[in-house]
Amino acid sequence: MPREHTPRVIGNRVLLTLWLAAAIGVALLPFATLSPNRLVSGQPVMLWQALPGWQLGALGLIAAGLLLAALARGLASRTACWLGLALTLPLLGLTLFALGDYAQRALAEASPAARVSQGGAFWLLLLAAALIAVDALQRLRLALLARALFALLALGLIGACLASDLLAPLSLMREFANQRDIFVAQGLRHLALVGGALLPALALGLPLGLVATRSRRWRDGLFSVLNVFQTLPSIAVFGLLIAPLAALAHAVPWLGELGVSGIGVAPAIIALVLYSLLPVVRNTYAGLAGVPATTLEAARGMGMTSRQILWRVGLPLALPVILSGLRIVTVQAIGLTVVAALIGAGGFGAFIFQGLGQYAIDLVLLGAIPTIVLAVIADFLLQLLVAASRPPGTR
Amino acid sequence: MIELQGLTKTYAGKRVVDDVSLTLQSGEFGVLIGPSGCGKSTTLKMINRLIPLSEGRILINGDDVTQLPVEQLRRRIGYAIQSTGLFPHWSVARNVATVPQLLKWPKARIDDRVDELMTLFQLDPAEFRDKYPHQLSGGQAQRVGVARALAADPEVLLMDEPFGAVDPLTRETLQAEMRRVHAQTGKTIVFVTHDMDEALALATRIALLNGGRLVQYERPIEMLVDPADDFVREFIGQADLGLKLLSRRFVHQYQRRARLAPETGLERLDEHAWLVDAEGRPSALAGARLDDADAITRVKPEWIATPEMSMKEALSRMVWYRVTALPVVDRDGRLIAEVGMPGVMGIEGDGAAREAAS
Repeated sequence: MPREHTPRVIGNRVLLTLWLAAAIGVALLPFATLSPNRLVSGQPVMLWQALPGWQLGALGLIAAGLLLAALARGLASRTACWLGLALTLPLLGLTLFALGDYAQRALAEASPAARVSQGGAFWLLLLAAALIAVDALQRLRLALLARALFALLALGLIGACLASDLLAPLSLMREFANQRDIFVAQGLRHLALVGGALLPALALGLPLGLVATRSRRWRDGLFSVLNVFQTLPSIAVFGLLIAPLAALAHAVPWLGELGVSGIGVAPAIIALVLYSLLPVVRNTYAGLAGVPATTLEAARGMGMTSRQILWRVGLPLALPVILSGLRIVTVQAIGLTVVAALIGAGGFGAFIFQGLGQYAIDLVLLGAIPTIVLAVIADFLLQLLVAASRPPGTR
Repeated sequence: MIELQGLTKTYAGKRVVDDVSLTLQSGEFGVLIGPSGCGKSTTLKMINRLIPLSEGRILINGDDVTQLPVEQLRRRIGYAIQSTGLFPHWSVARNVATVPQLLKWPKARIDDRVDELMTLFQLDPAEFRDKYPHQLSGGQAQRVGVARALAADPEVLLMDEPFGAVDPLTRETLQAEMRRVHAQTGKTIVFVTHDMDEALALATRIALLNGGRLVQYERPIEMLVDPADDFVREFIGQADLGLKLLSRRFVHQYQRRARLAPETGLERLDEHAWLVDAEGRPSALAGARLDDADAITRVKPEWIATPEMSMKEALSRMVWYRVTALPVVDRDGRLIAEVGMPGVMGIEGDGAAREAAS
């Protein structure tokens, strides 16, 4: 065995890199900031200033465990991966708890207007925990279901922290408490916009993808038009739609009564549909075109009708590719909907632009964090769906 | 019965199939053969209308194929192709059940039929029913492909180079199996190949095409013995014509009574003779070795012949193992006759052989 001749020290480069990055981040960046009021930028508080001794000790133990998992000696590589994975949960929990705990103590002796916000080191620790978990899950080659269970566990932990009063003293959570009703409304609006764009995009895109497989001429024209949409900047499209839609609503009053206007939901959904079409059409086409010609010839030779060939052979074999397209489009639409807030469509983007205008970074985060969480969850769920749609014979 | 009458296919003014007329009687195994681009595949695909014909008529049991609804027609015609075309997302059982399901047979009848066909192709239903095509070997997948084509008991079976993509050894096994299935089911088969040996192994009728035209339509041995023109002669291949003839002749036609060796005096034999064991299986051959005519040679399983074996294969074994006679055994491995060089030369065997042949 070559390993015996040249003993390796590092077992998991990714884990070690993440460990070092987090350590450097914690050394250089503040864990939290303390400011006298909402609008003034605050005093940086480093990790060792914010955490009491027992929390620092616990963090040190976790760090030591992770370092052990990163090194080749002492542990089998699979055990090391399991150790790394297992330690991400206490790391996540401790980071959240430490911040809430610090905010509680700091605010007890400060003025009522004072605020505690999370700092760079806090985010880095969370990011490190997430990436270490992803890396370990990948190395362990766990089934998708096991990954889903772990993700659920981590989400449950975060959810429990949010539900309890632990994080309530944080500036971000106070902002949330102030905006709770609007937050829920904007969240629903965000989902409605995404759903309202995806349904028409599928309803249009699937048949168009089918048309693309049937006729070369249609395919070339279709893809060049859809490519143009894809290259236009989203803000430009939102802007470009204002004038024609306003004119349309003016010319056809019943459309205006239905809610069509230059700004708001109508242009947002139209733009999102336009952006979603290309991936849907392209993946539908690619999926159907990828069905082997001999399979189709056999189906025809057996006496299947065109419709039976499509439903029994073409679509089942193309489904994983089509759903991959849906996955791209869903994540893309969740992100683009943020921009739609600029033309008054609402959604989480509204917080972001409001926060940017007021220079209230907590408000920006209030919009940005749920958008990211939404995108990650949607991506994961659709990944599950893609895996489930793979026919048993081709898995 | 399949009748092609003046069948013609024109692509952009070029006649790729040109006025082909032939009749294949029910139960015959017709092989369409010719060089690449001779129109053999096009001809086949016009029969189930995967390619529309330009001129002429095709009749199946008297019905003009263009008069039937196309899907209905295809469900009456089995179709097997190269690289199987199995549906990768369906189990073996569901693949085989394709056409019966299209015809809406009741489930119990479909299940019975699937088991019956898998057994016919020597695929154990218990083992293979729920497998997926990617779990099968090339030969198994091809068997499933042919079983699927036969599922709804079609009047006619079309096969488009079905064994083109499998290795030579598997191909020979599949050909033997196809011969057996044809004999058992009595289907009318149209089979496309570019391989003359395959055609000779399978066909009861060979149609040789060249440049879209039918050059000769004849029984295999007649085509070998009496080729219509130089093209046919060249296509068959003059050099190993004798071997090709042997591939259409079978051991049971040429086997002779085997002489058993006496208990004693082996060394004084003037002719070769066989030693058998207590169960009657051949154990050794005295004499008949090329290098040492007096030697006693232990019988090896590799140079035993069966009545169904082609004379070409028998000859090959004789040459390879340097013996001038092979023992012919029955299913239980008992010595029933022998086949030797006189048989290879086309000299008929004796009464026992003719009895076995009938």
